[in-house]
Amino acid sequence: MGDFVQLLIIGLLGGGIYAAVGVGFGLVWGVLNIVNLAHGALVIIGAYLTWQTFTAWGLDPFLTLPIDAVALFVLGYAVQRGVINRIIRAPLLFTFLLTFGLNLIAVNVLLLVFKSDFRSVTTSYSGAGLELGGIVLPYIRLAALGIALLMAAALAALLSRSRIGLAIQAMAADRDAAQLVGIDLRHAYAVTYGLGAACAGVAGGLIAMIQAITPTAGEPYTLQAFVVVILGGLGRVSATVVGGLAFGLIEAFGQSIPGSGSVFANAIAFGVMVLVLVTRQQGLMGRLR
Amino acid sequence: MKRVNLGLFACALVLTLACGGGAGSPTTGSTIVLGAPLGLTGSLTKESALTKQGYDLWLDWINKQGGINVDGTKHPVTIKYYDDTSNANQSAVLMQKLITEDKANFLLGPYGSAATATDAAIAEQNQIPMVEANGAAQSIFNQGYKYTFGVLSPANKYLQGVVDMAATLNPKPTRIAMLSADDNFSLEVAQGIVDYAPSKGMQVVLYKKYKNGATTLTAEVQAARGVTPDIVLNSGHLAEAIAIHKAAKEQKLNAKIFAYSVGPSTPDFIKSLGKDANFVYDGSQWTPQVKYEPAFYLSVADYVAAYKAKYPDQGDPDYHVAESTAACLALQRAIENAKSLDPKKVRDALVALDVTTFYGQIKFDSRGINIYKPMVVEQIQDGAHHTVYPTDVADKQPMYPTPGWDQR
Repeated sequence: MGDFVQLLIIGLLGGGIYAAVGVGFGLVWGVLNIVNLAHGALVIIGAYLTWQTFTAWGLDPFLTLPIDAVALFVLGYAVQRGVINRIIRAPLLFTFLLTFGLNLIAVNVLLLVFKSDFRSVTTSYSGAGLELGGIVLPYIRLAALGIALLMAAALAALLSRSRIGLAIQAMAADRDAAQLVGIDLRHAYAVTYGLGAACAGVAGGLIAMIQAITPTAGEPYTLQAFVVVILGGLGRVSATVVGGLAFGLIEAFGQSIPGSGSVFANAIAFGVMVLVLVTRQQGLMGRLR
Repeated sequence: MKRVNLGLFACALVLTLACGGGAGSPTTGSTIVLGAPLGLTGSLTKESALTKQGYDLWLDWINKQGGINVDGTKHPVTIKYYDDTSNANQSAVLMQKLITEDKANFLLGPYGSAATATDAAIAEQNQIPMVEANGAAQSIFNQGYKYTFGVLSPANKYLQGVVDMAATLNPKPTRIAMLSADDNFSLEVAQGIVDYAPSKGMQVVLYKKYKNGATTLTAEVQAARGVTPDIVLNSGHLAEAIAIHKAAKEQKLNAKIFAYSVGPSTPDFIKSLGKDANFVYDGSQWTPQVKYEPAFYLSVADYVAAYKAKYPDQGDPDYHVAESTAACLALQRAIENAKSLDPKKVRDALVALDVTTFYGQIKFDSRGINIYKPMVVEQIQDGAHHTVYPTDVADKQPMYPTPGWDQR
């Protein structure tokens, strides 16, 4: 029983990270119809920002998260405005190619700047946790889950309450109609991508505290974000959060199956994804578009 | 008639060349091209960079000597690198390119058992010797290949030293939890322990495989915690070693010994984990503390000094660097012994090679792997690497048992 509860906790805490990585990816995909293959690279740029500010100025890594968000927003805005906007209406394959190329550039620039060394943000409270009758709750992962949920809530509020959020929603619903009512599409596109990048940056900051990072460490996260968004369903922030938590739980329990380990975890995760696609095309919580 | 004339001409040419080469001081010959595909990007970037450092360190030295001495003629050396993006199939494609397009005379290995296995097939097809330092899986050497030579101890030995050392400690640890990546090399390391531990009175109470390259290993660590092991062993790679150690702290997995096959010997392990890296053991091909009497090239101390001069911000060279240099030394000595650049003759010289370097004895068994050099055990003590086993090369006693996470 204790084992089950511990696995449940591990799964939910891990799921928090996946949710954090997923929300930005889901937003960009849902609104811009771009499967952003550079998402993992954006995550790792955020991770390096946290690492850099932590090691250079001794700033607490949690305090670096707003810096990550702002910096990545600016970067994302510029990339969308300057590069991706040019092919935004081209077939999906073109955006695939472009974001794949952006990913290569970002990873190799990081390799040039930071080398391939493994870096990690290790604070005095790293690894500490609450122990309750044999069940452990690591503080950093707990905080990461909380921040992921807060970030998702803030994003959802921004999309439904603010003027630019409503513009983004309108654009997601019908680009041409949105343009007709006076929405500056190029700006709204760029803000959307910027928001997605900002979320990726925050997720990266959290990841830098949890695992060792290298410039290439982002690649698995792109794939995981893809699965998370499909699991949860496209088009709603809350759905991505559910997808992330579900993915975390599947991974934790999948890895614990005797005799299998994580060799099976990916197969299980993708198996569930296929199952969801077959039975509920809109995802666990998504809306059909 | 024409044919005879041509033959005479060839004889005369050979004689002239031979005389020119044999007369007094060495002359400069053609440049020897060595080829090596390495993962300069991708998941094995760090280890590949260390491999390259090892190759380059020797390259500088040999060219400072004027090159490899082939029967009185000194041939300068270049190494042609390609980025295989840490992909074994790509590595094989590039190896072929190195042979056909770049006309590489000899081959140096890529990083990792997977790429070495695919590259070995290419070396074999083209009958060009490949000396490698970073593919320890025995499956590479069980194919009957005649052109692949590994200077490193095979995979099944990687963690045996840790078990040997553990058997000498008091209180004696008996319960082993083994977490292994699912690639060939790691599985051989793990299987080596599963087979070996009972002979030292220990049992592997948990043997769990995870996906190669996994970054989340919390569930595996949780499973290990469930069996209250004395020894936590990991056969995997640097990223996974860091992930397991972080998770062990978070989830309060305590054990008397934490030992990892690959990872703790690199500076990144200590940099990433800070003081949490203390007490960790690893099985190592080589450490800067070993005591070997080299027949040529540098002594251990000079090697460390040369490394630090070339790579000032990297600390001591780790074993990936040393074994990569050793591969170059094996090739150099074989070419010198063969007195020829003919691939077949150099291959025969590699078979017959038996030489001691700063890295230890280099001698290949009938399969082409170096089973003659022992593995050593390192431990991180107060943020520095120390050799703790075997006792005759050790510079420190093992700090045992590892204190619980709450008592540090």
